Formats: sequence, C-alpha cells, structure tokens
Amino acid sequence: MYAKNVTVRNPSGLHARPASELVARAKQFRSKILLHRPDSQVEGNAKSIIILLSMGIHQGETVELMAEGPDEREAVEDLAALIEGGFGEI
Amino acid sequence: MNYSGTAVSEGVAIGTVYLYQRARPQIEAYSAGTPAEEAAAYDAASLAARAELETLRERLLSAGDQEKADIFGAHLELLTDEVMDGEIREAIREEGLSAPQAVERVFTAYAALLSQMDDPLIREREMDLRDVCGRLLRGLAGEAEEPSLSRLPGPVILVAEDLLPSDTAALDREHVLGIVTEVGGSTSHTAIIARSHEIPAVLGVREICRLLHTGQEIILDAVEGTIRTEWSEEERASYEKKRRQVLRRQARAKQYLACTPVTRDGVRIEVELNIASADPKELEPARYTDGVGLFRSEFLYMGRDQLPDEEEQFQAYRRVLLAYGDRPVVLRTMDIGGDKPLECLELPKEDNPFLGNRALRLCFQRPELFHTQLRAALRASVFGNLWLMFPMVASIEDIRRAKEALRKAREELGAQGIPYAPGMKVGIMVEIPSIALLADKAAQEVDFASIGTNDLVQYTTAVDRGNPEVRQYYQTFHPAVFRLIGMVVRAFSQQGKPVGVCGEMGGNPLTAAVLLGLGIRRLSMGAASLAPIKELVCAIDCEQAREIAETVCACSTAQEAEEYLRGWFDHLICQEE
Repeated sequence: MYAKNVTVRNPSGLHARPASELVARAKQFRSKILLHRPDSQVEGNAKSIIILLSMGIHQGETVELMAEGPDEREAVEDLAALIEGGFGEI
Repeated sequence: MNYSGTAVSEGVAIGTVYLYQRARPQIEAYSAGTPAEEAAAYDAASLAARAELETLRERLLSAGDQEKADIFGAHLELLTDEVMDGEIREAIREEGLSAPQAVERVFTAYAALLSQMDDPLIREREMDLRDVCGRLLRGLAGEAEEPSLSRLPGPVILVAEDLLPSDTAALDREHVLGIVTEVGGSTSHTAIIARSHEIPAVLGVREICRLLHTGQEIILDAVEGTIRTEWSEEERASYEKKRRQVLRRQARAKQYLACTPVTRDGVRIEVELNIASADPKELEPARYTDGVGLFRSEFLYMGRDQLPDEEEQFQAYRRVLLAYGDRPVVLRTMDIGGDKPLECLELPKEDNPFLGNRALRLCFQRPELFHTQLRAALRASVFGNLWLMFPMVASIEDIRRAKEALRKAREELGAQGIPYAPGMKVGIMVEIPSIALLADKAAQEVDFASIGTNDLVQYTTAVDRGNPEVRQYYQTFHPAVFRLIGMVVRAFSQQGKPVGVCGEMGGNPLTAAVLLGLGIRRLSMGAASLAPIKELVCAIDCEQAREIAETVCACSTAQEAEEYLRGWFDHLICQEE
C-alpha cells in the first residue's frame, strides 16, 4: 500500500468537473484507489463519481490518497499532482 | 378556470397545451428470472442505455452544444459508476432481487444521499440520478425511448409533471412558448433552464396534468403565476399587451444589465447586489455586479429548530465568496430581533422590537452566538474579499465592543493555527441617526460604512415601518433623511473611507439620482433593480446629480422633493428617447 496526504486547492473542491477528471484519471490505473478523510471513518473509492460527490470534499480540505495494487505508487503520485495542481482552476 | 403556481421565469404566453407525460416504466409487470438471467438483463439494459446516451451526446457535440452534451456525459459517468454497478450486481446475486428492483434500490439510495448534501450543486445531481435510473428501468421494461421534446408539434406551452435534465437538454427552444409543471420551485432545475432560455414558466401547479389536455388553448401569465383556460376578447387583448410589455422591458433590461455603469462625465459607479442566502439562484446575477453590497445572514436562523453551527455558516459564506472572486462581499452579521419569531432562538416578545434588543445588541447579550458567526466569517475570509459589517450601531462604544469581539475571535483562530484574512475590512451599517450625526468619529473607527436607508428613514421619522396605521408617515423622500445621508458621505469621504447605500433608496432610480448627487459611488440593490439603476447611471452626469441633491435637500416637505424628482426624471427619460 502507498499513501499520501493532499490538500484540495481548487475553489470548487472535488465536485463537478474536477471530480469527473479525477475519476477518469483514477480509472487509468489498475490499483484500488481510495480517498480517506482524516478525523473520520469515511473512505471512498476514487474511481466512483457517486462516492466523490457524496463525500463533498471542499477546497482547503486535506485528504489521504491511498492505493493498493501493481501501480500504487504511480497512481498516488499522479493523482496527488492533479489535485494539488488545482485542476487548472487556479 | 384559473390555476396558480410559482412564476419562476417572467413572461406571458398564449398558446396551445402540449402535455408531456413521461410514463413511469411498467416494472410491476416485469417477470423476474434467475439471478444469472437478471444479471444478464441488467447488462443488456445498461449497454442499451449507454448507446442511447452516447448517441445523444454525439448529436449535441456535432451541433456545437457543449453544455448540453456535458449533461449526457455526466449521465454516462453515473451509468458506468463502478460502485453503483457493483452494488446492483450484488443485490441481484446475493439477495435475489430482480434487475429493476436492484437498479431502483441502489439509485434511489444514492439520490437520497445527494439530496441531503450542503452544496446545492451536488443536491441538484439527484435529478441526474433519477434520470439515469428511469432510462435503465425503461430498458428493462422493454419500453422504447420516451417521446422527445426535440420534436414538438409546432409552438406549444409545455405542461408536465416535472422535467428531468435529459428532457430539458433535448428541448426545442424554438417551439416552446411556456412551461408549466406540477412540481418544482424557483430553484429547481426546470426554473434555472427556463430562465436561461427566457421561457415564461409557472411551476408547482398542483395536478395540472390532469386538468389540462393537449391542444387546449391557455393563457400563461408567468408574472402573476396564473394559468387561465377561459377569457373574453378584451382579456385576451390585455394579455397580449402585457406579453409585449414584458418583452420590451426584458429587452431594455438586457441592454443595460450587462453594461458598465459609468456616468456621462465618466465616473464609474459600483453597482452591487443584495442577497439573502447562498442559493445559486441568488448568485445568478453575480456577473452583472461589482460585488455583494449586502449579504444578509438571517436566512441561517430561519425556519429551523437548531442554531446554525460554525461549519454551516462557514460553508454558506465561502460559497458566496467563491462566486465573487476578488470582488467585495459585504457580510452583515445577524440582524435579528423580536419582530420575527425564530424556532431556534427564543426571544422574549417586546412591545417595540425595532427599538429593542436586536442585531448587535442581541449579539452582545448572547456573545456565544456572535462568536460563532465571527469565527465562521473569519475562516471564510481567505476564500475571497470579505467585508464584515455590523448592523444597528448607535454609538462609538457599540463599534468598539464589536471590534473587541472580533479581535477575540481572531486571536482564538490564530492560537489554533486556523487561517483567516488579516486585512478583512470592518464596517458599520448607518441606520440610526445618532451614528449618522457622529459619522466623522465613526469613520475613524472603521474601514467603511453602508447606509441602510429603510431603517434610517424609520428611525429618523419615528415611524414603525411594519405598522400599516402609520404608513403615510413613512416618507422615503423626506429631506431630513437626504441631509443626514449627505453628512455621512462627507464624513467618510473626507477620511477616504468607502461609503455605500444598501437600502431601497439605492434601487430606486429617483432616489439613486439624489444619492449620486450626495457623493455616493456604491449602490447595492435587489437583482430586479440592476438594469434600471445602470440605465440611470449611464444617463446622468455628476454635476446634474449634485444639483438634484441640492434641490431636494433644500425642499421643505417629502412631497415637494418627490414631485421635483418625478418631473426631473420624466425630463431625463424624454431626452433619452
């Protein structure tokens, strides 16, 4: 397993277009990818739009990105860069 | 017969009804097979739905309509969502549900979850889930795709129980004169679409699908929110006239709404919006404004039995700030008193609530309420250009006490390592004559002021504006009020501090002209006033406005001032035409 904390920087948070982008990108990896909100038990599948929407992650929140599988490190690093890069919104 | 509902998109339509009924897929008659057969049926329906959505999306893309194509793109994402897909398969396999039962259960559960989210944009996605669910169920029931709104039989008034995103995306705008639905209010998906396409719409008309039939002629009055099925010739003519009037007014408004408000002599006037919630509908006119001149925070406390916590307030403030980017958003701290009973906050009934324990006074008495709001506002301040404003200030002590409470909130956040914007501007509402008279002293204590003219008139003329017995004494054009405003503007301007107006005077072209003449350069108003005020600003020059202000300040009575202003205004508009 490989994990990393990332902070959501774009204004709209992980909703709408950024959520779709994240899901599409996550699906390119074979590993199981999870988003985990610290201080809560909530853990969600990053390849599911419905899960991302129902997590409602806002700008400024820090979440843990975890992956397990053959390309776990690559997946986490790639998605972390996407999230930290603000999805082109900033 | 007459029926009524909520007018959500202004206009008048006269035409024939097209009843659009999306038949509920007949899944009751569905005969379920073995789990393996059900899984196969689900696979087939899912593939068929996918093909339908891809076709719809491609058709819109090749027509260059990216926005509508995205709706179907989002539906494809939901349809192929691996979590929902997995849960549906599991329900079929493990619990022996039929394919339609499993689809309906999983989609309904997630729709319910989304409908409870804080963010209205996410809540709206519930409609997309219902839409995709319907598509899958139709496939399972072996029903063809529903009659599409892209092929309407000529110009019609569309009558439906409700419209889903895929309905409105297919909508043939050219052939829709109006929209009537049984469910939905002013923030519903249908309302937003109707407004963006400028289609007259009345929603929330109970059982209307049962009461009207295709081909029937009706008059839809989406100003009043009524539907008529019978009328005389004269009535029809008057609706026809009303229809043209609304169209003319809309055309004029459109012309001015988007313009930059600059006077004839080149002075840029800031035109801002008053809002009373963080609702997307309220934020729609954001692009036509220079900021929010008054963000009322009372909505947080209304219609609920528990006080809003810090997080909820923070989210609401943040949403508005994000919508406005670096333009200022003036947040007024709670202006609550004994005039309106609240379930979440028991306040003793007072004989004279407007002179009582309200707004800042209540905040001083209940510091924990104030503290929560101040923390939420400070936390939100890093997301935009927040200006914080205290209402009901009567003395310099009030200002100092409020600032002290703010200092404590800052200190606490600082100690907790929670970020806030250190340079957040702090100002006051000027609505009590005592602080208007001390404006020079007040200006030394704060960064800005906004004049709340409704209360300033009420407190200056000693008229309870909620009491119909004394309505005639409530005089917006009272020369004394104009003189007071002049004093405030001079005091703040001398110290280089911004002063605006956020009461009704700012949204009325007659009084706005006087305000400009008194030196006001920021006006904040309801959305409906934006176009008329911008029109006024573009038609006037500052010297002219100054003369107008001098004249009304020299009047003896409100009537004299009003008559003068009306005469002058008619003259101005005549010149324009």
